[in-house]
Amino acid sequence: MFAVETLSLSKRYGKTDALRELNFTVDEGEIMVILGPNGSGKTTLLMTLCTILKPTSGTAKVMGIDVVKDGTKVREVMGIAFQEARGFWRHKPSSILKFHASMFDIDPVKRQNLIEQTMKELELWESRDKLFMHLSGGQAKRLETAKVLVQRPKLAIFDEPTSQVDLRGKRKIWDKIRELRDQGSTVIVATNEVREAEYLADRVTILHKGTLVVRDSIPKLKDAIAGGDVVEVGFEDPVADKLVEDLKNLGGILTMSPEGNQLRANVSKAEDWVPRMTSASYNVGAKISTIKITEPSLDDVFLHFTGKSLEENP
Amino acid sequence: MNRVLTLASFNVSQIVAERAGLFLSWALFALQFGIFGSLMSHLVQSSKVQDYFFFYGVGLMVITVFDTGSFVGRRFVERAHEGELPYYLSLPISRRGFLESQAIYGVVATLLRAGPPLIGVLAFTGRLNLLGAFFALISLTTLGLGISGIMISFSFIAFKSIDIYNAIIAGLSALLVRFSTVFYPLSFIPSFYSPIAVFSPLTYGSDLTRWVLGFDPNLLLNPILAAVVVTAIALGTLSLSAGIVDKIIEGVKAA
Repeated sequence: MFAVETLSLSKRYGKTDALRELNFTVDEGEIMVILGPNGSGKTTLLMTLCTILKPTSGTAKVMGIDVVKDGTKVREVMGIAFQEARGFWRHKPSSILKFHASMFDIDPVKRQNLIEQTMKELELWESRDKLFMHLSGGQAKRLETAKVLVQRPKLAIFDEPTSQVDLRGKRKIWDKIRELRDQGSTVIVATNEVREAEYLADRVTILHKGTLVVRDSIPKLKDAIAGGDVVEVGFEDPVADKLVEDLKNLGGILTMSPEGNQLRANVSKAEDWVPRMTSASYNVGAKISTIKITEPSLDDVFLHFTGKSLEENP
Repeated sequence: MNRVLTLASFNVSQIVAERAGLFLSWALFALQFGIFGSLMSHLVQSSKVQDYFFFYGVGLMVITVFDTGSFVGRRFVERAHEGELPYYLSLPISRRGFLESQAIYGVVATLLRAGPPLIGVLAFTGRLNLLGAFFALISLTTLGLGISGIMISFSFIAFKSIDIYNAIIAGLSALLVRFSTVFYPLSFIPSFYSPIAVFSPLTYGSDLTRWVLGFDPNLLLNPILAAVVVTAIALGTLSLSAGIVDKIIEGVKAA
């Protein structure tokens, strides 16, 4: 059974198709990162999975439960940290978490410890008695994440969990999300931050204009890009023609541009090509001084599959 | 505590957190009743209305209940726009349960806002008795539920345009209050607009409340009719709201 499964899921707002015939699955116990620019349908998909939005057509199941037919049961097994922190302006973070925990029947004996521990881990403990309206954007965002961490649902959804959060806070949130996965939760993270996706994802789904473009692990997605890895090699002497010829015969190389003591090659798998390249260089007596391997980023992957950069508007 | 009550008590705690507003509303009520009520009752001299000061006090309470009911309904819409509603809709509670929690919240909000003024008016006019106060509160909270239901039922407009919703609600509120027996008995209202007053829920709410508090029944609508109408409005609009929550409202639009 998939933790999440959608079949031909569509959502239309007036004349705009936010999701188009989406077939999407998430395995149990994995972190699935949904990557896409603003307007790609990420939030609509998440809102549909947590039963806030109703699909226009198609079906969606969470842990085998239909989101339309059995909405309340779906909501019992999932938790969502929204993109924007939801404001209970005159409540304190501790009372918001206490309310959230009690709605999900968290054992009252364990509740207080769990809340205290989570608030300390997310550096919210010092602000526990502040009113929500006095929290900074980053604190409010961390509180949103804390709700799901306290709840520990079977399916945890995070919609852009670290926007507005500083670098240190991002790392903490990412570590807690991975910890949640390690404890047995299935996790979906929607983001348009490449670094966040690279840090968290077991697999990535790329959404573009409401359709699924591609879904796989990050290494496989990167390998799928022809000439994905860039290898820059520095030699002690100018690159000899014989070496260039030998390297061309190695295979796995797409383009190569020698220039003075430098050689730049686009290869499909650097980890396979570099050992063969060093061996060939050794055979012709060329001494290597530096090797620099650059992987394509997820932005390159996105660009490859959609023809657009994540930074661009949809 | 079950989830409906947990959610209702969380919402109520928000009113308590905003207690300055609560105290201010009581103070304004006291001022309005003490100064304007007193002045008005001196101006209105009629052999038919024996105690206009008391009549005015009950009318003022009905206005308070109307404001509270409107506030609960508008709060519902604001929650959608401020983002609280999607959070509530993601909680493990049925849509009907969610609406029940909002109804309980509405009842408690009405009791908190109208309860102390009611006791004050009854004490000040020498009519304080527990049974009367109890039934008056039931009448007022049922009216409050109906008003909340009306406001929530109109909330689907707010999902298209909050400006149109605000304009409609402002116009509707003005009509419901002006064309009603809140401040004048029906028999005193000129014939050209008394037929309109019969359509205002406030007419039935205020006459029913006056009746349970022992006001001259000759100046009021039939209390059974008033009770039936007030109850029917509350049940009808809340059922309509339940349908709206379930079928139409889907939180905020997401991209």
